[in-house]
Amino acid sequence: MPLVRKPTQPAEPPKASAGEVLAGLASANPEARWTAARAAAELADSAGALAAALPQETDARVREAMFTSLARIGTRESLRAMLPMLRSNDAALRTGALDALCSSHFAAHELLPQLLSDPDVDVRILSCELARSLPSEDASRSLCTLLDREAEVNVCAAAIEVLAEVGNQAALPALERCAQRFPQVPFLTFAIRLATDRIRAAGSRD
Amino acid sequence: MTERPALTEDEFRRLCEYLYRRTGMVFTEAKRYYVERRVWERMAETGAASFAGYFALLRTDTRDEIQQFVNAFTVNETYFYREEYQLKCLTNDLMTERVSDKQAGDPIRIWSAACSTGEEPYSIAIWLLENWSRVDEYFIEIVGSDIDTRVLELARAGTFGKRALMRLPAELIGKYFQELSAERWQIEAQLRDSVSFTPVNLVEPGQTRQHGQFDVIFCRNVLIYFDDTSRRLAAENLYDNLLPGGFICLGHSESMSRISPLFDVRRFADAIVYQRPGTRT
Repeated sequence: MPLVRKPTQPAEPPKASAGEVLAGLASANPEARWTAARAAAELADSAGALAAALPQETDARVREAMFTSLARIGTRESLRAMLPMLRSNDAALRTGALDALCSSHFAAHELLPQLLSDPDVDVRILSCELARSLPSEDASRSLCTLLDREAEVNVCAAAIEVLAEVGNQAALPALERCAQRFPQVPFLTFAIRLATDRIRAAGSRD
Repeated sequence: MTERPALTEDEFRRLCEYLYRRTGMVFTEAKRYYVERRVWERMAETGAASFAGYFALLRTDTRDEIQQFVNAFTVNETYFYREEYQLKCLTNDLMTERVSDKQAGDPIRIWSAACSTGEEPYSIAIWLLENWSRVDEYFIEIVGSDIDTRVLELARAGTFGKRALMRLPAELIGKYFQELSAERWQIEAQLRDSVSFTPVNLVEPGQTRQHGQFDVIFCRNVLIYFDDTSRRLAAENLYDNLLPGGFICLGHSESMSRISPLFDVRRFADAIVYQRPGTRT
């Protein structure tokens, strides 16, 4: 028979030391950086080194592994280390950080209020996505608070898009107030109508 | 089973956090009934009188309780030739690509990464024997793994009921199985001996990397149980377990593109599969 069973006695490959892992993050060899980026998640206190290496990283695959490791570490420090990347001019860095933050329930709960109040419009727009991972009531509350004070139309649009998917009936008054504040912006009027219809339809099914 | 009091919110949260850290599987309030049923079963089995008592047993791993607990939470229902279109893709396209620069006698390694009671790896074996004309030219190694050690024992035994065989033609049942009793069959010894089974937790890099690199990985209907971070981690682990140019097959409702950008999408006549970029080293 051409099928064979090898007597597999799996052996754990030797683990690199903390020093080797951290040095590997700066290696000229992308394979070594990939390995180091993955191993760093299992080290205590590696968040700072990962966050420092990320903006310099040119290999998309290694960057992905660095973000995954920061998300896996999942501490306040590792998640906060990604926040400056939301302001980056590099779109891959921005979206990588956002995806990693979105995968953390802690980030949505703890960091969202601060991010939705950020002076940078782009950060507020991106941060609306974080609300998707919250329970409907919490997401509605956070985004409605934002809608009531937000002066930037594009931030409102981002919040409305998320509310259309995860919002509940409690969001309807804030959506109505937003529509009244921006009657001159047709796309926002349209988006609010769509979100309102969806929330009402979802409410009638419950 | 005697009905037990519901877990408090705090107990439920602590249990789900523990389960997540151990397995990557996420359970929310929506699955409370499912979770509680399994906890009650384990409490009855271990004789624990309270949740606190049971949780202490779990955390100290008394009598290998962690593995028993994980076993209780896995979903193991499957059958032979499930998602047959991917098996067609395996022999019509994937194997041809994988052997394009292999020599006769070279190894081809295939991993069924969540094999449950063995239906998938044995299906792959039978399908290759029946449908791949070059099957005799290479040494084909098939590895089945699961996080649930209980199902691996059943996989090694290779006995199956009528439901598991429902998609197999009678001719193949006659050829590869021995009827043990009414509605119970055992896969032939040669096939049982040709597939190896081993416990692997896909979100533990230390466990996945020990098994080396494969030409093709089947990882169907598993990642759906993980949260985003665990899915990303599992995808990276699987990437490391693929040879450059190797393929990964997911379940029909799953998309690697939504999980990780590491893989190239390949559209074949029979299926969409994902490929680790790069040429073979």
